Amino acid sequence: MQSKTSFFNMALFKKNISRTWIVGLLYFVLLLLMLPVYFIINTANHGEDDWYTQMGYTMEMRLYEHISLMPTALLGIIVAIIVTGITFWYLFNRRDNYMMHAFPVSRKSMYFTGILSSLTVSLVPVLLASVIMTIAAVAEGAGGVSCIWYWALIVAVSTLLFTAIAIFSLMTTGQLVTGVIFYFIFNFLYLMMEVAFRMTASLLLYGLGGAMNGINYKIWTPVLYIPVHAKIESNIIYDDMYSKVIEFGHEFIGGPLLAGYAVFAVVLIIVCYQLYRFKKLETVLDFIAVPFIKPIFSVGMSFFISMVGGAFIAGMVEALTPLTYDGRFAIAIVSSLILGVIIYFATQMLIEKTLRVFCFKKAVHCGIYTLAALGILVCMRLDVIGVENRVPKLEDIQWAGIQVDYTMVFTDEMDIEAFRQLHQNFLADKKELRNINYNYPDVDGKTFTIRYKLKNGDILIRDYPVINTEASVVSSEYVAATQPILDFINNPGRIKEHIIGNIWNNCEITSMNFGGIIPYEAGDYTMEYNSFDELTTGEKKEKFKRVYNEFLKDVDAGNVFRQDFSGYDYMYEEKQKKTFYNSFDFTVYNKDINYFSDTDTFWDYSNGRDMTAMHEQTIYAELNTDCTNTLEALKNEGFYENEDVIMTNYEFSKKYENYEY
Amino acid sequence: MIQVNNVTKRFGDFVALDDLNMHVEKGAIYGLVGPNGAGKSTIIRHICGVYKQDAGEVLIDGQPVYENQAIKGKYAVIPDDIFFFTQANTLDMMKFYKDMYPKFDEALFKKILNCFPAINPKKMVRTLSKGMQKQVAFMLSIAARPELMILDEPVDGLDPVMRRQIWSLIMSDVAENGLTVLVSSHNLRELEDVCDHVGIMNNGKILIERSLDELQTSITKIQIAFDGDMPKLPDEIQVLKKITNGRVHTLIVKGEPRAAEQAISQMNPLLMDVLPLTLEEIFIYELGGENYAVKDIIF
Repeated sequence: MQSKTSFFNMALFKKNISRTWIVGLLYFVLLLLMLPVYFIINTANHGEDDWYTQMGYTMEMRLYEHISLMPTALLGIIVAIIVTGITFWYLFNRRDNYMMHAFPVSRKSMYFTGILSSLTVSLVPVLLASVIMTIAAVAEGAGGVSCIWYWALIVAVSTLLFTAIAIFSLMTTGQLVTGVIFYFIFNFLYLMMEVAFRMTASLLLYGLGGAMNGINYKIWTPVLYIPVHAKIESNIIYDDMYSKVIEFGHEFIGGPLLAGYAVFAVVLIIVCYQLYRFKKLETVLDFIAVPFIKPIFSVGMSFFISMVGGAFIAGMVEALTPLTYDGRFAIAIVSSLILGVIIYFATQMLIEKTLRVFCFKKAVHCGIYTLAALGILVCMRLDVIGVENRVPKLEDIQWAGIQVDYTMVFTDEMDIEAFRQLHQNFLADKKELRNINYNYPDVDGKTFTIRYKLKNGDILIRDYPVINTEASVVSSEYVAATQPILDFINNPGRIKEHIIGNIWNNCEITSMNFGGIIPYEAGDYTMEYNSFDELTTGEKKEKFKRVYNEFLKDVDAGNVFRQDFSGYDYMYEEKQKKTFYNSFDFTVYNKDINYFSDTDTFWDYSNGRDMTAMHEQTIYAELNTDCTNTLEALKNEGFYENEDVIMTNYEFSKKYENYEY
Repeated sequence: MIQVNNVTKRFGDFVALDDLNMHVEKGAIYGLVGPNGAGKSTIIRHICGVYKQDAGEVLIDGQPVYENQAIKGKYAVIPDDIFFFTQANTLDMMKFYKDMYPKFDEALFKKILNCFPAINPKKMVRTLSKGMQKQVAFMLSIAARPELMILDEPVDGLDPVMRRQIWSLIMSDVAENGLTVLVSSHNLRELEDVCDHVGIMNNGKILIERSLDELQTSITKIQIAFDGDMPKLPDEIQVLKKITNGRVHTLIVKGEPRAAEQAISQMNPLLMDVLPLTLEEIFIYELGGENYAVKDIIF
């Protein structure tokens, strides 16, 4: 009969604390500096001259702002591995390992006492710093201090989670350094796998050249996910003049997420206990101590590194000579398989700590792996899971956007559906499209981008290289495949709605500028603007509106904001002779309707938050010799008086830059 | 006290312990000897509950050792490479052992400490010399009042005076408290002085396990000289080794020495001396049958 053993051993606990307390002390000092000391220094000057005082900030607002800027998961991920590593140090040294396990104490006691002492050293500083921060905040006059404790909760759960991951990492190996490396690998494993797939896709798959953009951190990468999804959000609203705070609100978000992470951490700690229970102590100093992880590590490393490496090799070859889509894939597959075999045996050498790993058994395993890798790469080529052909379902799309020379974002359901159809038709012809670099190496082109913002927060990005549809050598099939895109975006209605903006037909024109080119000195010039100072604001607006209406006629006639797939160099001189160097811009304004910025939405400048309400936008247009309505109106309304001040880019270059065409 | 029954342990493809059997009686001082790589440290780690066997069983007082906290409290271990916590001094280690071992005798510890005046108990143990660290390990282990003491190369690194002092401490504990000792060592002459039982290991197996007396009487060295050539020996005499030097023949004979002595005396030798073998010689002759490479070195 074996005796019952407890989960806790006080002698070990004291011994663990005696080795890690210094880390806890340093952590506490750091937290003190970050929390109360920094807060007190920041709020020390809150007299009448202080900006915060002038803006009407209360001490509570300042406290929330201060706490919302404090790191959470980042602290946990660093402290957890340091403290846990020191506590379980004995697992990585033969002498310590053997002796510790010869003492009259069970693994259960050693394990759970180790966890408890690690968490004590990691969490007590957070608790103490929070208490001191609370006292400091109350002393400074902050009314509500709950944000401090929510911050402490986030840090505590993060620390618990990272401690569990740290222990898992340490249990899988017999080398401390490898354990630390595994810790960071496990923490970023999902992200690294996603990056590997995206990198490969960006190098090999049609339309996925921008696949490295738009990575949305997932729950499996907690150090990046927690700060975004579990936080204190303070909303401070200012008056129209941005001179006074008029409203303050705050919210603690991510409670259920933290609960989920805490449960996961507890489960992982129990799993790790089982690993420890069955851990063979002779695996000290082994690269991998858990048998079932060895093949996972070997195959995983071989597959991901060789996949990315193969894609890179194909990309490098393509940089030297144009390749067909299939040619590029063939090079990538062969390279991946060769690299995979090399890495497979390299990982075996690491695991078994010997160079003698070449045997029949390993060769068979490697052969099976190579066949599996080949299968996956071929599936990738055949787009079995439909990555290349993916067009999201209508009900999943929040908005759809396209960027060629200008940016358009569609939020209306009918527009999105029309756009989806256009995209699907485009992809149906991809055989005509994806070999353009090989078929038309001398035809200039560009890349256009399609983005879908999905309702689940993901962003789907596709980049398609295209060439000028007007080039004489391009096939009619190619033109048929791409022209519908141009027709779609060059529709005058869409230009007005998306390039000028949603208030294009319901707006005041609050400013308008046309730059006339005036010789200044020999070889130099100045841009002259008529500001119409003699007019009242109303008169100016009427004047601007008249020009604007004529400008819209040019838009309707297809004379301005037209986009094409030609590159910068295509018919460069002709373009220069047609477009004006003179600048032209105007501001559209509607006090009742928010201006919807297609560009800001497309590039997600708000970083996922709600857009700040805008009521106006300045539009810049490149006028050309076809814009007769606008030019005439500008002249009639007095923006310029004689034709000498108007110059095409060609004329300007000739006169001021001595450009030789 | 210790029963190791059919224990097998593999490290990958290497068989470290091969269906090993070993038995240590309560109160015995059991010397475990064997060449390097025989598996001595491996079996000791099984007996300490550090390793888990692939097959067989390791029992102390009839109970499995592995993960058995109560059984582990009954023995103390001094490994070849001694463990102390970083930053810990002798008194810190004493406190740790006191918390770990239920029968730890602090008074005894202080008494023993007085016997080793060179050791400063407030100095970090890891800064002490290797010999002093061994002394501290012995003090701690003896003060833990174990029923079994497991020693792996215990006096390696100690000077002769200190060795004697340490062994005398252990022997008095054996005499007074019935302590059982399992000791592994390469120093066979030293084991010969202290052990009453011996197990000889090679290739992961116990080749011989007997009391030292029995072992020493099972192999005999007989020196004989005849007038002329040596006559043929009777078949019942099993000669492990025969060395001839002029007319003097040295025989290593396995079996009951008196029977061999009587049989040879009937052959009327000019000279006959029966000499006991040292443990070291027994070790070498026994392992000689196991293709142990050094068998001819001493001749």
